[in-house]
Amino acid sequence: MSLLVGQIVQNRELVPRYFFLMSVKLPESLATPLPGQFVMVRVRDRRDLLLGRPFSIYAFARDKTAPVIELLYRTTGRGTIALSRLKSGEYLEILGPLGHGFDIFPEMKKIVLLAGGIGVVPLSFLASHYRKLPINDRLRIIAYLGAKSADHIVGMDRLQETCTDVKISTDDGSSGYHGFVTELLADDMESYLHGDSVIYACGPPAMMKRLAKLLGDRPISCQVSVEERMACGVGACLGCAIHVKAVGDKTRYRRACQDGPIFDIREIIWN
Amino acid sequence: MKSKTEQINNSEPVVAVDIGGLILKNPVMTASGTFGYGKEYAPYIDLNRLGALIVKGLSLEPRKGNPPPRIMETPCGMLNAIGMENVGVRAFIDEKLPFLRPFDVAIIANIFGETIDEYKKIAAILSAAEGVHGLEINISCPNVKKGGIAFGAHPDTAYEVTGGVKSLTDLPVIVKLTPNAGDIAEIAESVEAAGADAVSLINTLTGMSVDVEQRVPHLKNITGGLSGPAIRPIALSMVWEVVKRVSIPVIGVGGIMDANDVLEFLIVGARAVQIGTASFINPRATLDILEGIDNYLKRHHITDINDLIGTLRDGCPTS
Repeated sequence: MSLLVGQIVQNRELVPRYFFLMSVKLPESLATPLPGQFVMVRVRDRRDLLLGRPFSIYAFARDKTAPVIELLYRTTGRGTIALSRLKSGEYLEILGPLGHGFDIFPEMKKIVLLAGGIGVVPLSFLASHYRKLPINDRLRIIAYLGAKSADHIVGMDRLQETCTDVKISTDDGSSGYHGFVTELLADDMESYLHGDSVIYACGPPAMMKRLAKLLGDRPISCQVSVEERMACGVGACLGCAIHVKAVGDKTRYRRACQDGPIFDIREIIWN
Repeated sequence: MKSKTEQINNSEPVVAVDIGGLILKNPVMTASGTFGYGKEYAPYIDLNRLGALIVKGLSLEPRKGNPPPRIMETPCGMLNAIGMENVGVRAFIDEKLPFLRPFDVAIIANIFGETIDEYKKIAAILSAAEGVHGLEINISCPNVKKGGIAFGAHPDTAYEVTGGVKSLTDLPVIVKLTPNAGDIAEIAESVEAAGADAVSLINTLTGMSVDVEQRVPHLKNITGGLSGPAIRPIALSMVWEVVKRVSIPVIGVGGIMDANDVLEFLIVGARAVQIGTASFINPRATLDILEGIDNYLKRHHITDINDLIGTLRDGCPTS
């Protein structure tokens, strides 16, 4: 595997100066990414923006001409703002796919997705992956999507294609349920049983913490995708430390990039 | 290794260098803390092609490291406060070294301690292990017995720790110098007097970055070590100062991104270099750099890289 140069097919503003959808054409040597994996994306020839930025993969297709990955991202700082200004036809540096993806449970009847804001990205890729499995007919995929407000909801279109049901919540009540997305899930929690349902989540730490509390002692499987600043993405810099439980009362740090970015929610210590 | 004459006949320049008795295939080493334990980069590059592989800094006991956020990008650089996370010297030997042994590359263990006794113990353990070819002492760590001031900040403590390690090992010893000291060349002279076989410089510069909206530091540790091209001119001038003051080999480190950067250090007088942050951005950075050096040597009809080292001329570029 090596650093690849990708060409931007499109880089579209979904929510002004906030959410962008980018598709990038890559060389044939790109390994097929699994849902939950990420890529390091870097603007070329910009030493001021030294490091790549880790992005979960939103979608992947290997069309007749070349592999294309889709990235749905939020502008949060200098790096993502610079990326958002790139035009179709321009080039990027991409390293990946990196990390390990979500575990897939073909024996489950219900797939529950809990997304907070931009956290929808890896979950949407996961939903489309499940839909391609032979178990598709009997599978129910239920998505819970939380956002700040109605105009900050992203990823709805794809979820509506892949999911049996999509439930919305907003912090200000401008769309769907008025409140936290975890509260929406809590209302349905009794219908999701260990052995028949699995929960996948991605969102801000506060959401993850509420989810961990909601799950409590329930034995239901729950995998989460975590986020942390990264320099290398390959396990060397140790920058992306995630605080996890260790043997006994001990705790330790694991790397979001190589040990994750997917973890069992019960392993993580949410501060 | 081909003989020198053979290489010239094939018109391939000689790139091997001698670092205190340790002969490296080429002057490109990986900087400690930027290349894991080597295995992390094995899927990306042929480790056999490196001049030397310097592993993540090792302490006597495992260290958990700092709480996140541990890193922050700054203009042309990055801050890190990893907190010396490592598996400890014994787990390194048992779990990490077996992977590295089959490679035909010099393995250098970077070590650090909080007391001179700890440095000595780690050095003794590694010297008895098969497959370690050299030691690099990180003297940027706080000396807990001397109020937490870095060993490398004063000539006396730098001398003491270097002498202590040298007394317990037959391996070549490189001392990695901190730029966060009064006069880095004075420290270099001191460790040379204590028996150091080479010095490497610079380690990271202390830096800081603040989120102004929330008025909080970007790093949980508040301050961190600055690396990347932002520090390269500083590193180069310090190497320039140090080569004038010591006769042991000097290894240039600090923000090297490409072959041109390496050549700057060699011309100024460094006998080898370490590539750090560049590997984070491009896992193949070390090998791309080697190709670039080779091209330069051929273009300038230099048959042995050692003929380039310390050849800085007077004057300024003419157009």
